[in-house]
Amino acid sequence: MALALNFQRIPRPLHASRPQQILPLVSERVPAGFPSPADDYVEMGIDLNEQLIRHPGSTFFLKVSGESMTEAGIHDGDLLVVDRSLDPRPGRVVVAVLDGAFTLKRLARHHGRLRLEAAHPDYPPLELQHCSDVQIWGIAIYVIHPL
Amino acid sequence: MAQVTALIDGNNFYASCEQSLDPALIGRPVVVLSNNDGCIVARSAEARALGIAMGTPYFKARRDLARQNVVVRSSNYALYADMSQRMMSLLEAHCDDVEIYSIDEAFGRLRRPNNGELIPWARQLRARVRQNLGLPIAIGLGASKSQAKLANRLAKAVPNHAGVFDFGTCHNPDQWLETIAIEDVWGIGRQLAAWCQRRGISNARQLRDMPQGELKAKCGVVGLRLQWELRGYACLPMDLAPAAKQETCVSRSFSQPVTTREELRQSIATYVVRAAEKLRKQQQRTSALTIFTRTSPFKSNFYSRAASRQLDLPSNDTAVLLQAALPLVDHIFRPHRPLAKAGVLMQHLQGIDTLQSHLLVPMSAEQQDKRESLMQTIDQLNRRYGRGSVHWAACGLEPGWAMRRDQLSRAATTRLRDIPVVRA
Repeated sequence: MALALNFQRIPRPLHASRPQQILPLVSERVPAGFPSPADDYVEMGIDLNEQLIRHPGSTFFLKVSGESMTEAGIHDGDLLVVDRSLDPRPGRVVVAVLDGAFTLKRLARHHGRLRLEAAHPDYPPLELQHCSDVQIWGIAIYVIHPL
Repeated sequence: MAQVTALIDGNNFYASCEQSLDPALIGRPVVVLSNNDGCIVARSAEARALGIAMGTPYFKARRDLARQNVVVRSSNYALYADMSQRMMSLLEAHCDDVEIYSIDEAFGRLRRPNNGELIPWARQLRARVRQNLGLPIAIGLGASKSQAKLANRLAKAVPNHAGVFDFGTCHNPDQWLETIAIEDVWGIGRQLAAWCQRRGISNARQLRDMPQGELKAKCGVVGLRLQWELRGYACLPMDLAPAAKQETCVSRSFSQPVTTREELRQSIATYVVRAAEKLRKQQQRTSALTIFTRTSPFKSNFYSRAASRQLDLPSNDTAVLLQAALPLVDHIFRPHRPLAKAGVLMQHLQGIDTLQSHLLVPMSAEQQDKRESLMQTIDQLNRRYGRGSVHWAACGLEPGWAMRRDQLSRAATTRLRDIPVVRA
């Protein structure tokens, strides 16, 4: 960008008094207390990122909606840690793309055929050979569930 | 062993990022708009197939896009930057060295294996980026950056290359070079292309083989270097550590003309806040700043004005920079001028390790440290809770001039409340 700049130096008035200080405005309530004086003494903490995320470059977070996986310990509103670099294998809980939406199910082999199974008696399994456009988007590796 | 240069880039990067995180967009035509929803800057493969042109102003294309059921998105820089960083770290794991060239492209350096074959390596990398990030990429391989750039072009342009092309092992490279028009050669601008055309040089092969004296007389060593690069000698080094920036600029077009001093003040304050954030991230301080504004160049009575100021002491403290910049607003504001754009420019940047103290500045070292940790805290809060969580009153609360981003997708990878939903 070509800018015709007008370099004029603006003289600054001399102040004997304390300079004015501009302070930041907090526009949202920040849920944090005062920092603990013990902070300075902490040498190493347990970093959940490190524990839960082996491949940061390919790990994404998703939010769970629905009840079909409750028997696998995954509930409505839970936070799901999904690693896309892992290969889908029977037994793994996968995020699949189905009809333009993310669906969470367990990949299973049943009588030699792959299918997506819910972990809830009310939800029937989905045979993969009937739907050619299902894609496996990622593998769920952890669920974070509030108690 | 022969060094090989790879040019790796994301296809339709912005559109692909949108598709990667939103399953409703998979297989659908998607376009992404530039700042202020101005024009089309990225098209998914499906949108290209519909014949939608790059650079079309949105207001002109709007009706056609709706009729063809095209998904339209505003630029979501938070998402693209995060996906870019993920892609680059994956490339770093697959190359000996990586030079990040732009948000969606990088040069990689690697050695050619004993059997000479790099195509399997490239296919594997391509599959990995596709699986891990859902992004399609193209990989061009050559003996120099210029060759890699052309190879990348061929990787994309020829469908059965499937996104991978290697000048080192292809049959009849001359024939491929002849398919590349002179104006598409990296480093050849429009004027130079016209000059070549007049001499009957109309493709990359002819440029490579033209008499070097003629090229040198026209464009000096730069032209010669390009010619040698095309011949397979790497003349442009890998830029592994980008040089520290000398300047940083934040400017935006307004969504609607700004006519009041207060609005201009708020916008300048917003850009100063952003520029100060950038400086802190780059670990730099600025010694001078300029603010500028202009009316629309497409309307009569064009008006443009800038004002600058030197700082007593280099700084990246938002409060200090606001104090320096805001009084300048009175120098550039004129009533009855509908302003279309404004910005700030930070100049003569210094690394934070070169701070010299100043006798006249009434701030003790202790005070200085406190200010620095305040700035760090603000940056951390804004990173964690989203930009603008801690905010400067001078920027205004709900500015009407702010950039138009009507079709913005969510910060699906960087903000907890925006992550995608999976149905269970």
